[in-house]
Amino acid sequence: MIWKRQVPIFIVIFFGFLTLFGWFTDQSDIKDFVDIHGLQWYSIISTFAMFLGIITLVKLQVLKILKKQNGWQYSIVAVSGLFLSIIAGFVFKGNPDVEWGAHVIEEGTLFKWIFDFIFTPLSATMFALLAFFVASASYRAFRIRNFEATLLLISGMIIMIGRVPLGSAISSWFVLYILVLILGIVVNSIFKNKQYTAIFVAFGVIGVTVLGSSMGWPLDKPGIFYLPTLQEWIYRYPNVAGARSISIGIGLGIFATSIRYILGLEKSYIGE
Amino acid sequence: MKDKNFTIGAGFVFFLFVLLQVTKPDLYISDRGLLLFLILFFGGILQFSTRQALRGGEVFLRSIPAVKAVEEAVGRSTEMGKPVLFVPGIQDMDQVETVAGVVILGHVSKMTARYETPLNVPVARSIVLKAAQEACKESYLVEGRSDIYNENMVHYVTDDQFAYAAGVNGIMNREKPAACLYMGKFYAESLLLAETGNSIGAIQIAGTASQSQIPFFVTACDYTLIGEEFFAASAYLSQKPELLGIVKGQDIIKIFMLTILIGGTIIRLIYDFNLIDFSIIDFLTMSKGS
Repeated sequence: MIWKRQVPIFIVIFFGFLTLFGWFTDQSDIKDFVDIHGLQWYSIISTFAMFLGIITLVKLQVLKILKKQNGWQYSIVAVSGLFLSIIAGFVFKGNPDVEWGAHVIEEGTLFKWIFDFIFTPLSATMFALLAFFVASASYRAFRIRNFEATLLLISGMIIMIGRVPLGSAISSWFVLYILVLILGIVVNSIFKNKQYTAIFVAFGVIGVTVLGSSMGWPLDKPGIFYLPTLQEWIYRYPNVAGARSISIGIGLGIFATSIRYILGLEKSYIGE
Repeated sequence: MKDKNFTIGAGFVFFLFVLLQVTKPDLYISDRGLLLFLILFFGGILQFSTRQALRGGEVFLRSIPAVKAVEEAVGRSTEMGKPVLFVPGIQDMDQVETVAGVVILGHVSKMTARYETPLNVPVARSIVLKAAQEACKESYLVEGRSDIYNENMVHYVTDDQFAYAAGVNGIMNREKPAACLYMGKFYAESLLLAETGNSIGAIQIAGTASQSQIPFFVTACDYTLIGEEFFAASAYLSQKPELLGIVKGQDIIKIFMLTILIGGTIIRLIYDFNLIDFSIIDFLTMSKGS
């Protein structure tokens, strides 16, 4: 039991403390361990652990093929792809003029061909799918369901329009007229009285027109209603404030989680 | 450890620290002294709140809907006779988010063991594979259901980001899990996974500290554990006093930091109005200017 409980906890606590306080010391042995040797240990362990992954993968996929489980045909592709890559990497270069080792980056080898013409296009395809998923996710997010979704919709529209050349061509007075109409909707939904709404909209339109005429209709004045200025403000202040508060929370969470491990309070990783 | 022993231990560490500082000042990188002090100070606050919780001190925790939803999601899968899919991110165990994800997997696998619900955990790193297998195995053992534990429930897919996303999407489309849980570190594949999960009608719960991926998860998932909620989820799920105490300690640190932020802003404001001659920004950045 000691090997399953106390020893793993001791290893975590010891190396946790060593790595944490190693960052504050100038002592060369500790510094070398933290900065170089510890990371090399990790690389060596993870390289050997790769075999575990491959064994699991092959075992699971071969079992799937043998039992003809749902989607077993894909397993044939997965296993074939794995062995083809191993052959191209260790057995058959496909170009005798290229040295072993360099064959993974040199043109004209089987490995490079697999990388360029199978792996890269497939990865790019998956990445390209993201564009469509962003569109469908944005549609759901922007649907007006509640106050937060409405706020998101308005902010999103301002940022999208304000960041393209069309946004800088839209006069702040046009935005003001739109704002008067939107406020008219708000007034109508509060008082539910057509006369009040008409009076409000009429006064609003007249007010904006008078103000605009007196100021000479400058494109970017008043600045708060000019979309490029407005989007910049949203991006730099409310957005950064929200992001920073999340960052502080994340930092604290990481710190607390690390402390939990280093002090041996969290033992879930050994099943406790 | 009793409180008296803890105090003696903490005093000894402090004494050792001071002794080394006096006798061998070159041993430390003096520029990092403030950070070291803050780590010790905040660590002390966390330790204090933990010990208080262990002594029976009451710890109030606001309910987090996403954490409550984890059990509901497993229950839903049980009722529908479909598996639970758990994705522990695409990074290795050197990332604290992956570690937190594997810890939550331990709790989720306890639930699946209890309800006899199939669990599927595709992983992207071999070390995570071993850690996740151990976590699940122990959970099934603790629940007394080692007979239904299957080593293949945690399986390796690939190290590559998009190949992994393709593999997991394939699993989703073929097996149609009733619940998809994404807990760990994610990059661009987050939306690929969450949107596919959404298209198959699964209840989805995500937890991540990857700031750029939070909006995608919020949009596509039913519940999202944002930032520190994700790290606190393990404490909520376990309800152990020592872990709950840490969550309380985090809040104390937050109050402390908020006080500094607000105080600093006020001091700066007074300086800007020329009422005092002390610039807090110059003091904190050790600048000699204005």
